[in-house]
Amino acid sequence: MKQKIVVALAGNPNAGKTTIFNALTGARQHVGNWPGVTVEKKEGTLKHSGQEIHVVDLPGTYSLTAYSLEEIIARNFIVDSSPDLVINVVDASNLERNLYLSVQLLEMGCKLVVALNMIDVARGRGAIIDETLLSSLLGVPVVPTNGKKGVGLDSLVEKVISEVENPELIERDVRLTYGSEVEDELYKIQNLLAHTDYSSRGSQRWLAVKLLEGDSEIIKKIDGLDHREKILEQVSKSRSHLNGIFGDNPEIVLADARYGFISGAIKQTVQVERTNRVNLSETIDKVLTNRLLGPLILLAVLYCVYIFTFNGSAPFVKHFDSFFSWLGENVSTILPEGLLKSLVVSGIIKGVGGVLGFTPLIAFMFFAIAILEDTGYMTRIAFMLDRVLRGFGLHGASMLALMVSGGIAGGCAVPGIMATRTMKEPKERLVTILVAPLMNCGAKLPVYALLIGAFFPGDRASIMFVLTIISWGMALFAGRVIRSTVLSGPSAPFVLELPPYRVPTFRGLLIHTWERTWMYVKKAGTIILAVSILIWALMTFPGLTSEQRAIFQDKQDKLLSNFIKDPVVSIVLKDQEDLNSFEGFESEKTKNHAEKLTDFLKSRNLSHEPQKDADLSIDFQQVNLPVALKYAQYKLEKLRLENEEQSARLKNTIAGRVGSHLEWVFKPIGFDWKTNVALLGGFAAKEVVVSTLGTAYSMGSIEREQYSNLSEQLKNEPGWNPLMAFTLIMFVMLYAPCFVTLVVIRRETGRWRWTIFAMVYTTLLAYCVALIVKTTGTFFGIGLT
Amino acid sequence: MSPTVSKKKCIDCDSLQHHKCLAEKTVKLSNYKPGEKGKIVQICGDPDFRLRIMEMGFIKGTEIAVVKYAPLNDPMEFVIRGYHITLRKKQAAHILMNEPELAA
Ligand SMILES: Nc1nc2c(ncn2[C@@H]2O[C@H](COP(=O)(O)OP(=O)(O)O)[C@@H](O)[C@H]2O)c(=O)[nH]1
Ligand SMILES: [Mg+2]
Repeated sequence: MKQKIVVALAGNPNAGKTTIFNALTGARQHVGNWPGVTVEKKEGTLKHSGQEIHVVDLPGTYSLTAYSLEEIIARNFIVDSSPDLVINVVDASNLERNLYLSVQLLEMGCKLVVALNMIDVARGRGAIIDETLLSSLLGVPVVPTNGKKGVGLDSLVEKVISEVENPELIERDVRLTYGSEVEDELYKIQNLLAHTDYSSRGSQRWLAVKLLEGDSEIIKKIDGLDHREKILEQVSKSRSHLNGIFGDNPEIVLADARYGFISGAIKQTVQVERTNRVNLSETIDKVLTNRLLGPLILLAVLYCVYIFTFNGSAPFVKHFDSFFSWLGENVSTILPEGLLKSLVVSGIIKGVGGVLGFTPLIAFMFFAIAILEDTGYMTRIAFMLDRVLRGFGLHGASMLALMVSGGIAGGCAVPGIMATRTMKEPKERLVTILVAPLMNCGAKLPVYALLIGAFFPGDRASIMFVLTIISWGMALFAGRVIRSTVLSGPSAPFVLELPPYRVPTFRGLLIHTWERTWMYVKKAGTIILAVSILIWALMTFPGLTSEQRAIFQDKQDKLLSNFIKDPVVSIVLKDQEDLNSFEGFESEKTKNHAEKLTDFLKSRNLSHEPQKDADLSIDFQQVNLPVALKYAQYKLEKLRLENEEQSARLKNTIAGRVGSHLEWVFKPIGFDWKTNVALLGGFAAKEVVVSTLGTAYSMGSIEREQYSNLSEQLKNEPGWNPLMAFTLIMFVMLYAPCFVTLVVIRRETGRWRWTIFAMVYTTLLAYCVALIVKTTGTFFGIGLT
Repeated sequence: MSPTVSKKKCIDCDSLQHHKCLAEKTVKLSNYKPGEKGKIVQICGDPDFRLRIMEMGFIKGTEIAVVKYAPLNDPMEFVIRGYHITLRKKQAAHILMNEPELAA
């Protein structure tokens, strides 16, 4: 018995590979990517009567030519990793096209077992398949299965094991041959191959066929071979010879011949009793892609996905958030004031909280997408929207990604970009990833709210509407430009199968959701933690010098001593100790300073040496009101000083210095160092723009409820006017995506190049648009007051 | 036969080196209406596209039935060899068909 059998699952898309894979391996599976590319790779193990079997789910392909990444991956795995056996999952209800791949697998000479899946569907349509005959025609075992119900999987596994242990010799009735002309040429090429040291991985016949087909990947494979030149010469001679005879390229002739073989096999093995039943799937499709209803239903579905993703996950997001703020508070109280506390609370806990905060969102979105994919509706979205989106270099499926990214204001580019995983066309997918961050994600909304509240208080709704339109316009425009410059070149032919509608299994949906979400947490998590610490450091160091700090301390001390020395105050609060115990005093009805003071003095009078303060106890009722007033003033001034110190500290951090140094760059669009540093902070997450603006404008830390303060302040700042506000809104909408998004772009494109590109082009776009807005506004005198 | 002559009839068709262009005697698949079906006579277009759709079962003599057009009239949906597939009209124009008949 072999220690461990390695089995690969190959088959057409939608044939049921993943369903069978899940049914076989259960929870013992692992998802990753194929090396160097972003196509998902699923592996798992199962044990059957003591035999351990390792299963690899290959990407779904219609063929094994080098047409797409998926096909190259599947082919290379079979040739290079030479699994002990390949299970070819075949959709029995769509046998003809599915067998095309089987024929190619046979040609490769790998050990094969055919799983005749969806046998229930085929039988339901009245098709009777003679499995024994099919098995003898193909020369490999055929096992009927129903992946969804798990029927036939045991016999499939048993067949696999027995095939690996001691292959059953099935007499093949007919061999797939290509006719004497082609066979002659194949023979010549094979002859040459036989004389090389090619360590025959993949059968020699297969290699000869691929060479004759002019397969560029395979030609690369024989690169270092001895008789390379001779072989290639023979190949090109054969190709032109066949071209002359058939009037077409050999690959076309071979495809033709394979289908001929398959048609013959089907005629012999499949009997259809035409039960003229109405096809349910086609009836559903008539409604769902109806000229009028279709687009409406599509919009409704997209809207539902959006609502489900964001509203459905909201309670979980809230729990995550409150857990992390609870954690932050508790750690705050434990750790002493200082750098370590700042690092742990503002850097680490906030960073990790940020990553995990996205998780429910991503999980919900992937669940919704899994439903769309597994039911087959996703391909209909592409079908209906192709016309609209292809002009912009996008694909029907881009719609979903853009909606989730913030096509409806309030989305998030992180799940949006991950949603592009469903897209198979590399260029269209890349364009979608690159333009998704231009949409109005939820984190930009607080910035808009702040500025709209301050400068366009009456037009909230209409401005939001305009911003939504602008962001769509920008995304489509950018898509078009990117597609015709950086990513130019022909698009992949739009050859899309529209599979029948199917009811997905809940288990399948959960597995899908889980593995994609987990991948996000695992891979993105570590980088995001590191970058949050980095950003924290940039916004913290070096901070104020000790002299500067001493100056602020001095001011604080002076303020304090002035307050205590005040003749009115000194009657009740004689020294700092008194003040401290007053501030630490907890009273039940501390509605205002005056009441608190009354309570405080009362309690002191009762508990501490009443005789000493006896004279006071009589008239403090009259004194405490002015004292409370003075105290309130003192507090306000103290806070102002602290905020001023924070602002000075921020200016003195690396981020602040960069912001100041960049003033000359941003002068034309009217941004000063305060705005610049806020925009730098927005790199951590766009909503940070608001809080950093707050700090820079000496407003202290801004919480959601306190926008109005900052709004008021901005309105009165010199240089701020509606035009400036709108310029900033445009800039925030378009400039560099937050780093979480960038990390995800890196993960999904697999290239730093595109990550950097995304950062640079968005910022340039933002700058240009802001400049246009600013200049036009200034020129026409719009929004200057 | 010289490719320059035939290329006049059917621009951007690489496959014409060895074929007689049948564009004048055939109907483009993109001109079929929903509910019509017919058989493939010739497939033109660039080699990649031809190979891809031939692998999907678009072989000379195969029957194709047009199911519908997308809401914006493009792309279009067919049934071939018992499954549904969609192509853009521009691509479908490369598939030359015989005269359409009404599908059952
Ligand atoms: N009726 C039926 N449906 C199946 C069967 N196997 C898979 N499915 C469904 O077919 C759809 C596509 O299956 P999936 O495993 O994702 O296909 P893959 O693309 O090959 O991985 C899913 O909705 C499955 O639930 C089967 O044997 N019978
Ligand atoms: Mg799958």
